[in-house]
Amino acid sequence: MDNRKVDISIVVPIFNEEENVSFLHESITHAMKRIRESYEIIFVDDGSSDNTLNLLREIQQNDCNTRIVKFRRNFGQSAAMAAGFELAIGDKIVAMDGDLQNDPDDIPKLLDKLAEGYDVVSGWRKNRKDKLLIRKVPSKMANKLICSVTKVYLHDTGCSLKAFQKEIVKRISIYGELHRFIPVLAKIEGAKITEVVVNHHPRKFGKSKYNLTRTFRVLMDLTSLNLFLKYLKNPLQFFSALAFYSFLIPALTGIWALVDVIKSDFQTTEVNLFLTLIFLLAVTIFQFLFFGLIAVLIVYTGKKKSILLMD
Amino acid sequence: MNLQSTATKMIIQENLLENIHVPKPKISIIVTLNNHENDIEELYHSLVNFVERDEKQFQIIFVDDGSTDNTYDRLVKITENDLRVTSIRMRSTFGEASALDAGLKHSAAEIIIYLTARVRVNPPELSKLISKLEDGNDLVIGWRYPRRDAKLNQIISKVFNSITKKLSKLNLHDINSGVLVTKREVLENIDVYGDLNNFIPILAARQGYKVTEEKIEQLHGEFRKSKYFKEYLQRFLDIITVLFLTNYSKKPIHFLGFFGAVFTLIGAVIEIYLFVYRILALGPIAGRPLLLLGALFLVIGIQLISIGLLGEMIIFTHAKDIKEYNIEEIIG
Repeated sequence: MDNRKVDISIVVPIFNEEENVSFLHESITHAMKRIRESYEIIFVDDGSSDNTLNLLREIQQNDCNTRIVKFRRNFGQSAAMAAGFELAIGDKIVAMDGDLQNDPDDIPKLLDKLAEGYDVVSGWRKNRKDKLLIRKVPSKMANKLICSVTKVYLHDTGCSLKAFQKEIVKRISIYGELHRFIPVLAKIEGAKITEVVVNHHPRKFGKSKYNLTRTFRVLMDLTSLNLFLKYLKNPLQFFSALAFYSFLIPALTGIWALVDVIKSDFQTTEVNLFLTLIFLLAVTIFQFLFFGLIAVLIVYTGKKKSILLMD
Repeated sequence: MNLQSTATKMIIQENLLENIHVPKPKISIIVTLNNHENDIEELYHSLVNFVERDEKQFQIIFVDDGSTDNTYDRLVKITENDLRVTSIRMRSTFGEASALDAGLKHSAAEIIIYLTARVRVNPPELSKLISKLEDGNDLVIGWRYPRRDAKLNQIISKVFNSITKKLSKLNLHDINSGVLVTKREVLENIDVYGDLNNFIPILAARQGYKVTEEKIEQLHGEFRKSKYFKEYLQRFLDIITVLFLTNYSKKPIHFLGFFGAVFTLIGAVIEIYLFVYRILALGPIAGRPLLLLGALFLVIGIQLISIGLLGEMIIFTHAKDIKEYNIEEIIG
C-alpha cells in the first residue's frame, strides 16, 4: 500500500447511504474503465449508523481499487473530505458526493479540463433537478453572494463534484464547515479555477440533508474567508475598515447631537455626554489598531507563509 | 504543544530497576499524588491486594506532583521493595494533567487505570470499572457513589455535572471524579493539558470513543482541604471550557459572531432610531444617554466579531496541525 501509485484518486464521503453505495461504486468503476488510467476510490465512512460500512467492506473485497476509511464517529463532511484528501495518493484528485446526485460519467470531462492546465475544475449543475423553491432559489442567491464576496466566479459553488491537481489539495486544509468553500480555499493558495457543465440527478433514495438554519454560519464563514482572501497580507487594513464602519452610524447620529449641544448653549449634561461619546470612539480606534497588530503577529507566526510570498 | 514545553521542564527520576526484564504488564495503574504522606502506604497496599487477585502482570506508577511533605521518601521506600512500582517525581507542581501525561509516557500496558489520590475511592471496586471496559467500552469513568466528602463540595459538584451533562449531551454523573479506566489508545489520542484532566470523558467522546460510567464507593477519611472559593470559581470557568470544547473549538466565529451580531444589531437600531427621531424634529438628542448606549453596543458588537475573526485567523494559519477526525480503521 505504501509505495502504490495511481493516477487518479476519487474521494467520496459517505454517511448513511446504504441504498446508494453499490450503484455508486458500479457507476464510478464504469466511468473510470473508459479512461484507462489507474485509479483508486476512497470511501470515507463518516460514522454511518446503518449498513453502509458492511456493504462497503463487501465491495472492497471484490475490488482492489477501493479503499475505505472508517471514522470513529460522525465528524461531518469537511472532516471526511480532509481525511480523504490526506490519504489520496493520485496525481489528480476528484471529490464527489455519495448521494448519487452527481453523475460519475462526468469525471472524464472534468479530468480533460484539468489537463488543460487548471488547478481546480468545479462542476456546474446547469439543469438542476431539485424542486424549484426549496433548493434552487436559496442556492442561487447564496451563490451570487459567495461570488461577489470572494470574487471566485463559479455558477455553482455548491456542486460537490470537483477535480483537483494534487498539489493544490495537499496545500489546503478543510475544517469546520469549509467544505462548501473549497474553491475559495484553493483561490487563497493561488489556484487557477474553472468550471464544466455536469449532469444532475434528483435524489433516488434517502432524504436531502439540507436546512435553512445554516445561513448564519455560512455568512460568518464567508466573512472570515473574505478576510483570509484579501487581507492576510495586511490585516491591519481590514481591522481599520471595521473600525471605520463601527463609527459610521454613531458618527452620523453624533453630528446631530453636536448640533443639539451647540443649540443648548453648551449645557453641562449635554456636553458631558457628548464628550463621553467621543472618548469612547477614540478608545475604540486604539483597540482596533491593536487587533490589527495581533492579526499581523498571527499571520507572521503562522504556517501559511506561502501566502506572504505570493504576489 | 503545552505538554511538550512542560515536559522539558520536568526532571523525572525513574526507578533504575525498571530496566530489568519483566513481562509486559497487562494493566498500568497511574496514581497522581500531591502531599499524601499519610495515606500513600495504605493506598499502595489496597491497590496491590486488589489487582493481585486476578492479574499478576501489572505495574503501578506513582506520580508525585511536587509534594512538599514526605510523600516522595515513602514512595522511594515502596519502590525499593516492589519491582512492579515506578515512582516519578515532578520538579514542582504542574497539575494533574501533566502528571498523568508523565505517568502515561512511562507506562507499558494497554489498559490504564488512572486515579488521583485525593478522591479516596475503594480500590476493589475498580474491578467493576474494568469489567465494564471489557464489555466493549473505551473509557469508564468512576462515579463516586455514595460520596463521603464535604456536603458543599458535593452540591457544587452536582450543579457542575448537571450543567456539563446538558452541554455535552453525555449521560455522566461525575465527570471530574478523577478515577477512570481506559485503553491506552484513548489517552494517547486526546490532548490533555492544563485543567483538561477534568474533562477527559468529553474529550474522548468527541473523538468518537465509547464512554460510560460505573459507581465506585468513596472511602471515609481525611480529605484534602480545598481552597474553596477559588476552586468553585474555577468550576464555572470550566463550564465555559466545556461549551467551547463541545461546540465551537474550531469555529470561534460561529460563537463570538453570534453575540457580536446581536450587539451590533441592537446598537445600530438604537442609533438609527435616534437619527430618525432627530431628523423628524421630534426633539433634541444630545442629552440622551441612549446615544451613548447605542454607540457602546455597536462598538462592543463589532469588537466581538473581530475577536472571533482573530480566532479564525489563528486556526486558519495553523490548520495543518489540526486533525478534526479520528480514523478507526483503514481498509485496503
